Amino acid sequence: MPYHTFKCSECLPDRQKHAVIKGPGEDITSCLPLGNLNTIPGTITERGCAYCGAKHVIGTPMKDVIHMSHGPVGCTYDTWMTKRYISDNDNFQLKYTYATDMKEKHIVFGAEKVLKQNIHEAFDAFPNIKRMTLYQTCSSALIGDDMDAIAKQVMKERPDVDIFVCNAPGFGGTSQTGGHHKINIAWINNKVGTFEPEIKSKYTINYVGDYNIQGDCEIMTDFFQRMGIQVLSSFTGNGSYDDLRSMHKADLNVLECARSAEYICNELRVRYGTPRLDIDGFGFDLLAESLMKVAMFFGDDCVAKAKEIIDEEVARWKPELDWYAKRLKGKKICLWPGGSKLWHWAHVIEEEMGVKVVSVYSKFGHQGDFEKGIARCGEGALAIDDPNELEALEAMYELKPDCILTGMRPGEVAKKIRIPYLNIHAYHNGPYKGFEGWVRLARDLYNAIYSPVMNLAAIDISKDDFDTDTGFKTRTMLSDPGTPREELHTEHMYTGKMDIVTHLRGKTYEFPAPDKPVTDAV
Amino acid sequence: MSCEIKAKERAGIINPMYTCQPAGAQYASIGVEDCTAIVHGGQGCVMFVRLLFSQHLNENFDIASSSLHEDAAVLGAVHRIEGAVDVLLMRYPHVKVIPIITTCSTEIIGDDVEGVIRKLNKGLLKEKYADREVHLIPVHTPSFKGSQVTGYDVAVKAFLQHFAEKTEPNGKINLITGWVNPGDVTELKHLLRMMDVDATVLFEIENFDSPLMPDGSAVSHGSTTIEDMKGTANAIGTIALNKYEGGKAAEYLKEKFQVPAIIGPTPIGVRNTDTFLKNVSKMTGKPIPEALVRERGKAIDALQDLTHMFFADKRVAIFGHPDLVIGLAEFCLDLEMKPVLLLLGDDNPTYVKDPRLLAIQEHAEFDMEVITNADIFELEDRIKNKGLELDLILGHSKGRWVSIDNDIPMLRVGFPVFDRAGYYRHPTVGYNGAIWLAEEMANVIFNDMEKKKDREWLLAMW
Repeated sequence: MPYHTFKCSECLPDRQKHAVIKGPGEDITSCLPLGNLNTIPGTITERGCAYCGAKHVIGTPMKDVIHMSHGPVGCTYDTWMTKRYISDNDNFQLKYTYATDMKEKHIVFGAEKVLKQNIHEAFDAFPNIKRMTLYQTCSSALIGDDMDAIAKQVMKERPDVDIFVCNAPGFGGTSQTGGHHKINIAWINNKVGTFEPEIKSKYTINYVGDYNIQGDCEIMTDFFQRMGIQVLSSFTGNGSYDDLRSMHKADLNVLECARSAEYICNELRVRYGTPRLDIDGFGFDLLAESLMKVAMFFGDDCVAKAKEIIDEEVARWKPELDWYAKRLKGKKICLWPGGSKLWHWAHVIEEEMGVKVVSVYSKFGHQGDFEKGIARCGEGALAIDDPNELEALEAMYELKPDCILTGMRPGEVAKKIRIPYLNIHAYHNGPYKGFEGWVRLARDLYNAIYSPVMNLAAIDISKDDFDTDTGFKTRTMLSDPGTPREELHTEHMYTGKMDIVTHLRGKTYEFPAPDKPVTDAV
Repeated sequence: MSCEIKAKERAGIINPMYTCQPAGAQYASIGVEDCTAIVHGGQGCVMFVRLLFSQHLNENFDIASSSLHEDAAVLGAVHRIEGAVDVLLMRYPHVKVIPIITTCSTEIIGDDVEGVIRKLNKGLLKEKYADREVHLIPVHTPSFKGSQVTGYDVAVKAFLQHFAEKTEPNGKINLITGWVNPGDVTELKHLLRMMDVDATVLFEIENFDSPLMPDGSAVSHGSTTIEDMKGTANAIGTIALNKYEGGKAAEYLKEKFQVPAIIGPTPIGVRNTDTFLKNVSKMTGKPIPEALVRERGKAIDALQDLTHMFFADKRVAIFGHPDLVIGLAEFCLDLEMKPVLLLLGDDNPTYVKDPRLLAIQEHAEFDMEVITNADIFELEDRIKNKGLELDLILGHSKGRWVSIDNDIPMLRVGFPVFDRAGYYRHPTVGYNGAIWLAEEMANVIFNDMEKKKDREWLLAMW
């Protein structure tokens, strides 16, 4: 049996099929953990709620919008300033958040009136913002406020505003994933098709399932635009509300995170016939392949441009990636993200950085994510669904990884047992997409693993014999002990700038003219 | 010259100052040894609060969830508590204390937490865990009442209500700190040691600042024990430093066990620290020692270098927990500053009658406002749209954009602070807290003067 039983979970029969080890010659037909099932209470799960999946993951990266939650203040506060989804409009969506501040009297008598007052107040406070997303919470769902009706009333009273309502209360699903689904479907049902875009290029896409963490999305849309493709919308990183209403007009949906955003792509295919193309923005080979796939959809001129970009980027950054890969070779990592990175990265990080992925986990992934992830994993990899605190600790003791790639709080658990972590939700020094971004990830991984401070942490000064000859250690003294300086080729350590995103803003692109005018001028 | 105390006019919240009640109860729970709380509600109510603690303290804390899903929200969810208690006890052999912290969802659906605890006590705990000491404690913290502040207050009381037990006098005092940092507890314990006073510190959270040990053994957790809490009924007296965070528990011990209680003042600044020490001295009969006179002298010496030269007439806005804001405002007045705007962030109707605020109101030498039920937008709106001019902001990291976008220097103080390194390590209470606060306020002002070329020559020649 490929199922792996953690010692700490032997007492939980319901956990027995949530972890597997990919044995010799095994594939996903024989080793697939369960996924997306109700959580066992009391396990100290790392999962969040459906509200956060809808609001925090997908809704709030939209940049020109008042994001309001209808409920007590906590849901709003807790999901505010905990993720780095930046934007090119001075981060309005990061800076401001809105709660209707539901109190006991509202629970008893209903909160529709106060909701309406809130919406007006918010638009009054920010007269330049005319768009709003409105999120249900556990409280407003349970008392049954009709948020759609209130939104309609306000839109009638203020004809220049538009409001999107998302009914994804915290309890609505096994985890964040319930909210991803609900907001995808609500958006296509209510907003797609209600705005006509200006078509500037012969080639148009929606870039779907990227949330612009530290600028990932802006890196990718720069590539697409350099290829002559107009990005009609980005769902939802750095995304504009009205652009996202015009998703129906794109020629192609380019899908990145198929966990959180495949639903809208599938619906766009059914309702508007727009094809879906899944890509990977991470890793040299996968990214190059992805850019080529997108280009080939459109034609030769696009392909030529894509090739030019790939050649130029690879020539510029490959030596630096290789410098790190040489030193990361054989290092063991646990790839413990939320969902999609487990299959986006499982294979390519081994191929291109030389590390060994000894474990993958997913907080809210479905079996489909494990299919993709385990298929891309090497032999012996431990895959865990809905991990919990004790299982993660047991895995770390057993597998002795050199670094775990996860979120901040689990990272603090790892730190205490002297395992460095890399934040792959909010990133350390991202963006990590793009060719340069991938080098930045390798750099951050190298910096984490060869940390002189972590090197000190193992020494017990009361018992151990330790080196007293040197006042410092550099990273290369740890990664390449004894190697003469000239053989280190330190010129190939990352040479990019700290901020590689801001300079992309305001850049202009040339697009091939559209074949025929698509919109009628009024 | 007037000081108006009034509630925010808007109904809603733009950029909240506090989160909701369950977070406060969770913060109290991690202060107890061998304690893992179960939050009865959706998973986000735990996941994000754990992240928040981790943002502030750079440590991990274990808190469990009953993981409310759709079926339970519709059909009732007490069985999720039963499951969670069993799973937690099976897998965590050290756990003795399990507060069951409710949330908005489980309060609305009306789950009978007391009932399920009775059932578990009679059934599961007797049958399966007969040889273990296990305490299940109901903590009712619906998110639609109060805030994280009241949640903390409610939880401290719930713990003592469960444990406090009159036996023999223990000669100790109870010190209920309120929602503070590990650095504050270190400072408070230092003061008590200097006074030669034996105290039960609720909660003993110095270990929230825990090391990275060669053998990987360190875990961050509070260390208030069951015995500590039981003994609170047998103390000489209780001092609750914060009226709104632990005051309820002090009153409970007074009413139920006739343990004398002194509530406040928050020992921020020299004057309030003096009062605190005097209160300790009165309660225990122990004199204030010479060494503290010297320590106090160092603080006064440090403040004297800064007050009338740099601080005088500087206009300050303060937001955060109510006791913290009031304590800081009092300290600012001693430093000759003008705390022109105080923001208290929930709808507690007693704020407007707080004697400390009324005293500030009575003696205001300048126009000031105290806003209750406030959000951080109250501050920003006044700066951007109503001409409020400020020299300094005191508040937590969630208000960072107000400082950044309006180019006003800000000292991070309170909870949470996640955009400055290591602030949880430093005290804001006691004489050392007074020194730290004043010098850090001065340093952020100095940095700002240099950046803005505002008489930076003044700094080089003092």
